[in-house]
Amino acid sequence: MEFKNFSLFISQTKVNRFADDLAGGKIMSTLCKKCGKQYYPPQADCSACMASDMEWKEIKAEGKLLTFTKIHVPPEHFAVRQPLMPFSSLQFEPCPVGIIEAGKGLPVMGWIPKMDVKKIKVGMKMKASPFTLPDGKITIVLEPV
Amino acid sequence: MRKVGIVGIGHGKFGVRSDASLRELVFEAVKACLDDSRITLKEVDSMVTGVAGDEFSFGIQPSAQVHDYIGFHPKPNFRVEAACATGSAALRTGWANIASGLADVVLVVGVEKMTEVPTSTATEIMGRAGDATWEYPFGTTFPGYYAMIANAHMAEYGTTEEQLARVAVKNHYYGSLNPYAQMQKEITLEKAVTSFTVAYPLKLYDCSLITDGAAAILLASEEKAKAISKKPVWVAGLGCGTDAMRLGDRKSLTSLQATREAARAAYKMAGVGPSDIDVATVHDCFTIAEVVAYEDLGFCEKGEGGKLIEAKETYVEGRIPVNVDGGLKSKGHPLGATGVSMAVEITKQLRGEAGPRQVKDPEVGLTHNVGGSGQVSFIHIFRRQ
Ligand SMILES: CC(C)(COP(=O)(O)OP(=O)(O)OC[C@H]1O[C@@H](n2cnc3c(N)ncnc32)[C@H](O)[C@@H]1OP(=O)(O)O)[C@@H](O)C(=O)NCCC(=O)NCCS
Ligand SMILES: [Zn+2]
Repeated sequence: MEFKNFSLFISQTKVNRFADDLAGGKIMSTLCKKCGKQYYPPQADCSACMASDMEWKEIKAEGKLLTFTKIHVPPEHFAVRQPLMPFSSLQFEPCPVGIIEAGKGLPVMGWIPKMDVKKIKVGMKMKASPFTLPDGKITIVLEPV
Repeated sequence: MRKVGIVGIGHGKFGVRSDASLRELVFEAVKACLDDSRITLKEVDSMVTGVAGDEFSFGIQPSAQVHDYIGFHPKPNFRVEAACATGSAALRTGWANIASGLADVVLVVGVEKMTEVPTSTATEIMGRAGDATWEYPFGTTFPGYYAMIANAHMAEYGTTEEQLARVAVKNHYYGSLNPYAQMQKEITLEKAVTSFTVAYPLKLYDCSLITDGAAAILLASEEKAKAISKKPVWVAGLGCGTDAMRLGDRKSLTSLQATREAARAAYKMAGVGPSDIDVATVHDCFTIAEVVAYEDLGFCEKGEGGKLIEAKETYVEGRIPVNVDGGLKSKGHPLGATGVSMAVEITKQLRGEAGPRQVKDPEVGLTHNVGGSGQVSFIHIFRRQ
């Protein structure tokens, strides 16, 4: 699958397998074989020891919500046509987004489709899972556990 | 390293300048700068141009438009870029040209022409100053990044939406006294807290403006500075720091490590501390950014930024006046021009030329300019003597 199905604009990277795994239901990180440092988002190269020998590892995508927001003035790409804005209804109701800490140094960003923004609290426990949108694009959603 | 002084300042009118193109905006600022310094471009050795976005300037060589239009060729000129901190990166580059001995007199120009594109396009261009691969697919925007910093700050320190709105009230008040400001209009606390949400919890009045504008400063070596100007303002310290690309990877979401690092370096170089600063311009791209800057610059303890504005300590009469030119909030934020505009304001303050916004007899001033959501930060400290 094209990496663009996740990233929207960028199509060429050494970690494009991430998109395939995401479509297959897994959120993957990379692990440096030399020094053991784990990366999410995945990196093809290790900035800790400058090695480029990495292995893929699924992450247990659960943890505390670090922060969140709900963007009412969207960028052009998301503003063009309503159905392009994931989880948004016709009368424009944007979807909150947030970042959870799925283990030390593994921040996972995702949409929070099922919650009223006023009920979202920093520190609440959430889990991240892959989600395929009606147009075939793949993304990540967060929900409380 | 050679000592460097500011010998000329020029500022164009900030606003929705549908009457002028990028190069024409620069001309206004450069003309004002040369008039202020009473020298001509013949006496200038080289130039640095700060422009943040090619997508705003419709071309990847905006610096060439600029030197062509003001007739500077064949002398050196090139562009520098550091997102919203582009103007300060240009100033740092200009300073290094002189400190190293490469040039004696350098013109530093900052400009952005943002309103040629609609708000949704501008929001998109700026949103991609975050991580275009890993953050942007979640619809993130600039207000979105700072909204996430605001929610974290509120959760950790109990900072309130009302405290944030008070930053906007202050900055609009001073903007109303600044003839170069985009919105010369006072606002009430009520109006600010009830304005529409841009990115929860940030509302319209928590956001800086989308602006066209240019500013210019003339830098000179010590010898030249004394010959050109009766009262040069000296560059006493410079600092630059960086942080992770993505918010989630930062050690703290309630503080900008880039700013803390830049502050450490600049204070050390200038041999001063936060309590020595008499007047400052900080990067208030959003009200929360000003509150976080108070803390990161050491103007108050961590978590006390909301209380500092509540106590009005950052007004002209307060303990540490901040953004008494209106800030990015009401003066406007033409990305590439902002850092240069900040230096113009501090120079005015140190020369005692700030009119109704004048701080009483300042000796040391500071500018703080952040690129992106905190990936890079520049601090400059200026002195009167
Ligand atoms: C908040 C924002 C989205 C509003 O833009 P917009 O929806 O296009 O607003 P409009 O231009 O249609 O203006 C509507 C009204 O609000 C005013 N307005 C626009 N932005 C404003 C702001 N930030 N603060 C106060 N008033 C603002 C306009 O003057 C106008 O007033 P009028 O009706 O009296 O003429 C836009 O200003 C923005 O994106 N700001 C942030 C810029 C940014 O991210 N910069 C980079 C930071 S480092
Ligand atoms: Zn390694």
